[in-house]
Parts: sequence; C-alpha cells; structure tokens
Amino acid sequence: MAAVHAWRAARVTPLGELHTPPRMTAALLRLTVQVVLVASLWNGLYAQTGTTAGLDRDQAVTYAVLAVLASRLRELDQYAGRDTVLQHMHFGTIVYWYLRPLAPQRYYALRALGEQLYGLAWALAGYAVCLAVGVVRPPESAAVAGVFALSMLLGQWVLYYVMLVIDQLCFWTLRNGAAMLILIFAQNLLSGVYAPLWFFPDWFITLSGFLPFQATLSVPLSLYVGRIPLSEAGAQLAVQAAWVVVLALFTRLLWRRAARRVISQGG
Amino acid sequence: MSGSIEVRGLSRTFHTTVRRPGFAGALKSLVNPERVAKEAVVDVTFDVAPGELLALLGPNGAGKSTTIKMLTGILTPTAGEARVAGVVPYEERERNARNIGAVFGQRTQLWWDLPVRESFAILRDIYEVPEREHRARLGEFDELLDLSSFWDTRVRHLSLGQRVRCDLAAALLHDPPVVFLDEPTIGMDVVVKEQVREFLRHQVEERGRTVLLTTHDMTEVERLAERVVLINHGRLVLDGSLDEIRRKFGSTWQVRATLADPHARVEPLPGIALLRHDGLKVVFGPAEADAPTVHQALKAVIERYEVTDIAIDEADLEDVMRAAYVQAEAVSRAHAEVPSGARAEGV
Ligand SMILES: Nc1ncnc2c1ncn2[C@@H]1O[C@H](COP(=O)(O)OP(=O)(O)OP(=O)(O)O)[C@@H](O)[C@H]1O
Ligand SMILES: [Mg+2]
Repeated sequence: MAAVHAWRAARVTPLGELHTPPRMTAALLRLTVQVVLVASLWNGLYAQTGTTAGLDRDQAVTYAVLAVLASRLRELDQYAGRDTVLQHMHFGTIVYWYLRPLAPQRYYALRALGEQLYGLAWALAGYAVCLAVGVVRPPESAAVAGVFALSMLLGQWVLYYVMLVIDQLCFWTLRNGAAMLILIFAQNLLSGVYAPLWFFPDWFITLSGFLPFQATLSVPLSLYVGRIPLSEAGAQLAVQAAWVVVLALFTRLLWRRAARRVISQGG
Repeated sequence: MSGSIEVRGLSRTFHTTVRRPGFAGALKSLVNPERVAKEAVVDVTFDVAPGELLALLGPNGAGKSTTIKMLTGILTPTAGEARVAGVVPYEERERNARNIGAVFGQRTQLWWDLPVRESFAILRDIYEVPEREHRARLGEFDELLDLSSFWDTRVRHLSLGQRVRCDLAAALLHDPPVVFLDEPTIGMDVVVKEQVREFLRHQVEERGRTVLLTTHDMTEVERLAERVVLINHGRLVLDGSLDEIRRKFGSTWQVRATLADPHARVEPLPGIALLRHDGLKVVFGPAEADAPTVHQALKAVIERYEVTDIAIDEADLEDVMRAAYVQAEAVSRAHAEVPSGARAEGV
C-alpha cells in the first residue's frame, strides 16, 4: 500500500524546533554573528590587497556570506532530537525503525527533507535581509538565478547522500564521531565554506575535484557570483547530477547491508 | 484477522568474537579473532491462540528477548519457523509491522524532542490510521492509562513510568491484533504497574488482542497470565498453566482446617497427605504423587469434612519460579552432557 500520509514524518525537525524557542534564538544569533564576521573579514582582506584570484571584493563577500547561509540548510549536528542513527544504535531504539510499515531509508529521507526545508526557510530569510542591506549582490541575471537554484538543489542532494554515508557507518562501527569530524572539516574546507576553493593551490583543487564535496556548495556559489560562467554551467550541473546518481546507488547498497546487519544482530 | 502466534523449532545462534583480556590479548584478537557460537534460542516450539496472553519466562540471558526479536521480524532465526497472524515476520517485515505492536521495556520509540501527542500523530501518519479512529483510540487509552495529564509534555521531560505508559499506547495506536511486550513494567511503581495490568487485561479481554509478554515480576504473571512458557539457556523447559507449574515446582501448600466434629475419622485424601492432627486442628499437604492444586485440595477437604474454619498457605510464585529455574538449570546441564542427537524430548 502506498504511503499516503507517511510523508508527514518530515515535520519532525520543524516541530521540534518550534517547541524549543531557545534553540531558534541561538540559531538566529549564531547566523547573525557569522554573517557579520565573515562579511567584515572579507571586506577587511580586500581593503588590504585589492583584487585577488580574479575575484573582486563584492563577489568574494557575496560568496562567503552565501556560504554561511547555505551551511544553515542542514546542520551537521542533530543530536538534540536523539534521532540520529548513531543514537538509535547506541540506545538500541534502531529496532523501531525496522518495526514500522515505513522503511528506514524512507523515514530517514523524509526526516532529512523536513530538516532541509526548515533550514531553507532560515537561509531565505537571511538572504532577503542581506540583500536588503546590501551585504550580498543579487544574481547577474534571471538565467544565473535559475541555474544557481538548480545547482543548489543538486548540491544539497549530494550533501544529503554524503551525510547519509556517514550515518550509515554507524551500523558497523557504532561510533562515527571521528568520521563525522573529518567529514565536517572536509565538507567546510573542500566545499568552500571557509574560503573559496580558487584560493587553494592547484594540486588541492585537482584532488578535491575527485571528491563530491565541491559539488555541494562551491559549484552553485561560483555560478552565483559569476566565477563559473553560464557557458560552463551545463558541464558543472552534469557533474553534480553524476554524483547524485553514484551516491544514490552506493547508499542504497549500504541500506541493504545495514538491514541485513540489523536483522542478523537484532539491533 | 486472526492474531495467532505459531513457533516451530525456532533457533538462533549468535557468532561473536571473544575479546581476550589485556593489551597483548587485544592485539591477538585483532590479528587472529577467536569466533565463538552462542546458542541463544534452541528448538523452541509453542503456540499462542488469538486473544490469549502468554508470559514468556526465564532467568536473565535465557533467550526471551531473542525470541521476541525473531517474532517481531528484527532478527532472522538460524533454524525453525515462526508465523505471527499468518505472516512469517522476518520474511515480510513491513506486512508483519501492520499486525504487531511492540514495546521493548527501556527503549522508547517516541520522539525525544516532541510532545507525546505529536509522536502519536506521527505514528498515526506512518500507520495510516484515520483521524477519527485515532482520536477514539487515544480517548480509550487515556481513560485506562491517564495519559492526558502529561501528553503535552515533551518526551525528554517525562518520568520513566509516564514514558512507558506512552510507549504502550504508541504500540497499540494502529490496533494490532498481536502485541509483544519485553519487560513492559520495568521500573514502575506499584500503582502504575496495576494500571498497566488493568490496561493489558482490557486489551486482551475486550479487544481480543494476543499478547506475548516477558517479565521478571511474578505478581504480574500471577495477575495476568493463565499460561506461561518457561525457557532456560534458550530451551523450552515448560509450557503450561500457572497451576501446572505450581504443581510441578511449588507443591509446598498447606490447608489448615478446624473440624466441627471432634470424633471425625481423619485420613489422607487422594494426593493429599495428612501432615498434622492435633485435636480439632488438622493440617493437610501435598502427597508425593499426583498432588492436586491448593484450590482443588481445599475443595476436597471441605467436601469430605465438616469444618468451622479453613485457611490455606501457599508458596508464592516467586518461590515456585525459583524452584523451577533451579531445576531447569539442572536439566540444561544434563542436556549439555548428553551428546546432541541422544537428547530426550521435553522435561
Ligand atoms: N546480538 C547478540 N550477539 C551475541 N550474543 C547475543 C546477542 N543477543 C543476545 N545474545 C546472547 O543470547 C542470550 C540470550 O539473550 P536474551 O537477550 O534473549 O536474554 P533474555 O532472556 O532476554 O534475558 P534478560 O532477562 O536478561 O533480558 C544471552 O546469553 C546473550 O548474551
Ligand atoms: Mg531480555
């Protein structure tokens, strides 16, 4: 039977947040501080040096601020709700995921979708404010905006799978703390949250080209600020889509193995 | 929708690596892991009829939880077969999920950050329960379990007893014909325990649900279960009524009577021994063979003699179970010594 209402499980994150106002205040505060700091940092840097790596000041600030806003789309820590795979494995509550008529992978995906949509609301609000006060530049054209939106969607999709892989590790290791830390660092560094990738040495850029992280954030933001011209957008989108497909297949395989592991160990 | 449970020769062996002690041991385990097989459940066979409540008993590590995990479909057996409401649980997990509800004592299925009622609503959506039905059932559960006084609280702020009550309700929201409860009343105070028993009795008697329950609380067994299955070291030791268990392991009852007639001829009755005879006071106990239950003995004494006063003393179920576990232990040891294949069936 097709699940008609099960999609509503997506409301878990927004509901949890709405029931915890202090968490929302903290999120607002952190976002504001990060945006202000990042904007002044890049403004300050450019005041010293002028154009660097083929990017003017406005482009750099826009890139950096958008990166901060986008990283709000999906928080890398969801421990507060005790609904991570790690915690379910630790507390033994993972068994309930396998006791429901909604497959664990479906539940996980719905839950993540709700989380992303919730984060999107924050990111859009932050974007509107930054646009209004002139911290970020609007996109060059409607075409750039459209391509950016599409690329962002694909990027978040890739990010979803990357995080899923890390979560799936818990089925085998019970501890993914170290992997999680490495991932967060790699994600921030290689996706260009800390600094746009083109400031790094060539070998580093080449290396990161073989990893999926660039596809999550660096590509859509580069499209937005015009670092990647529209003429090259098609190729970049294709790479992103390819990552989505590869990771989708890989995580599907892992889900199947995870289920086998749970039903052979009894959670 | 018949909620029967059929278990046939169910077995489960776990393979684990032994961790050797010490640093050198850890290194050795890393290079050359030593695998051992642990037989958690061995050739267990029993049935539960629709609308019946069965208590699965046994000492710690007996294999109760492992059995329940196989019946809920979370664990695949290494041998044997099980059917729950006609479905093989570990083969059709999602279909089975609609037929069963489960509570694993200390583990909650509720969402930690959400008010309980929101958790219920999410489960309603996952199980596709119509809103009207959902509301009616919540009302019924509230009446029996007093949920409304705390169901707007977030799960993280509930007391243990409140949380387990919510978990019970959550497991039954989709009206499953079969319910598995692994130590559902662990850590509850006496009042809440009684409330939960009342709830379970209602679910069995009024709603016709089949319940398979494990517990270490003998009062609970006494109040709820008519039939118990006893396992030890993964093997079924006994399947029968509480009376049968009493007769087998706890024949320590006494019937004390005061006779009306001082000249009555007092003699043993079938299966009943005369322990003491002192003027008008007589004390009966179970004979060596074919001892009846204490209630049957009481009836026999009253029918045979005219009495002015009568009282019974009975070993409580705790004592009976202790005796049963000790004996089961001896039986398992004997099993272990007999080479497999030459094993006698049953006890
Ligand atoms: N995943 C597993 N891997 C290895 N051994 C296991 C596993 N699960 C259970 N066992 C072993 O199987 C045996 C039965 O365990 P089980 O949890 O079924 O006992 P139980 O009857 O529920 O005990 P308790 O009353 O303490 O809850 C135990 O010896 C336990 O150590
Ligand atoms: Mg147990």
